[in-house]
Amino acid sequence: MINTVKKNISPITEELCSYKVTLINSDIVKSVPLDPANADYQEIQEWVAEGNKIEEAD
Amino acid sequence: MTKAAELAKMGEVMTNSQIGGRRNIVINGAMQVAQRGTSSTGIGASAGYFTCDRWNINTGGSAGRLTMTQTADGPIGFANCIKLDCTTADTSIAAAENLILQQSFEGQDLQAIGKGVTGAKEVTLSFYVKANAAFNFVAEWQDNDNARFVSKLFATTTDWVRHEITFPADVDDGSSPFDDDNANSAALNFWLHAGTTFTGGTLGTTWHETAANRAAGISSFYSSTDNNFFITGVQLEVGSQATPFEHRSFGEELGLCQRYYQLFGSGTNKPISNASAYNANQVSGVISLPTPMRATPTIDETSGSNYFRYVSNATNFHVNDLDLDISTNERVIWYKGTSGLTGGSAGWMQTANASSYFALTSEL
Repeated sequence: MINTVKKNISPITEELCSYKVTLINSDIVKSVPLDPANADYQEIQEWVAEGNKIEEAD
Repeated sequence: MTKAAELAKMGEVMTNSQIGGRRNIVINGAMQVAQRGTSSTGIGASAGYFTCDRWNINTGGSAGRLTMTQTADGPIGFANCIKLDCTTADTSIAAAENLILQQSFEGQDLQAIGKGVTGAKEVTLSFYVKANAAFNFVAEWQDNDNARFVSKLFATTTDWVRHEITFPADVDDGSSPFDDDNANSAALNFWLHAGTTFTGGTLGTTWHETAANRAAGISSFYSSTDNNFFITGVQLEVGSQATPFEHRSFGEELGLCQRYYQLFGSGTNKPISNASAYNANQVSGVISLPTPMRATPTIDETSGSNYFRYVSNATNFHVNDLDLDISTNERVIWYKGTSGLTGGSAGWMQTANASSYFALTSEL
């Protein structure tokens, strides 16, 4: 289950390139592409639709 | 079977075009490939892929827990199976609870079925199963594009038994073919535990759209910690006849699995990719994937203090994890911020802790 989602900014393009996802009670992290066909990207959209917020990049 | 019956069956198989070419729609049906590992404990709180590739544990709401293993057991001709072992029982079954062993499929791989139109074909499921006792579970063919289902009960014994189940063609009204794309169009489900949301009706052995008819009449895998469930040799094919299991080489099966998941390193000192310093504070690398993936993949990794190291000019630069940069389903660029690099220097990225792993996933 998603704990936090934060934006990743590409050092190459200096634009949003992926999302960093941490999970509840887990040391597993995911770096998720901006691809609507990606299941993790779809899960983030559902998570946001539930009222959760994506954090800005550091 | 008499000779006449054998010839009649062969004729039917030939009529249904079940001879020649690849027959088995299921990937890793013999449970050969387990990139994520051969054992995972405490499963049940959330869905996911844990051991054998392509086999998802879909679960919700239950306090029951299980251990999933790729186990060296099987009927003649099969070296491996999936074993599910109940480690925490749940005999108070809430309405929405479920436990499903599942494999999902891209719509573009199902077009031969011709679903939803006149002339749509039956599909036949076959599999070997055993358990610690007699249970009734449900095998279900699920159309995700149109939210339609068809189910059949099967029984377990303490010995391996091969079941053959033919799901009827879904001619429907001509409006519900599978989408011809890389999205999740269908799933093969083995229901092992469910509440009244899914069991409150009458089992739907013809195509239907009623949740309560999806798993009516099943036993509960979570009824006792004595319970275990073994399955292998899973085959789903177009037509009305169950043909012998289509054995594929390990390499061929691994290649099919890598469309959805690719493990690059698990444990200490496993190479990830060549790398170079983009500048003094960023290191990055490009991975050319051995198999194009279904979609642009997610980096799936552990994160911890110094779990990865960039090695360059006989110096180690440690980082906790890697991030995904611009990528496609064939090439992945990763990057990570650190310090003290010499821009333009070359080296490689590798794992640096026994708990490190780095994988790419584009599961359905």
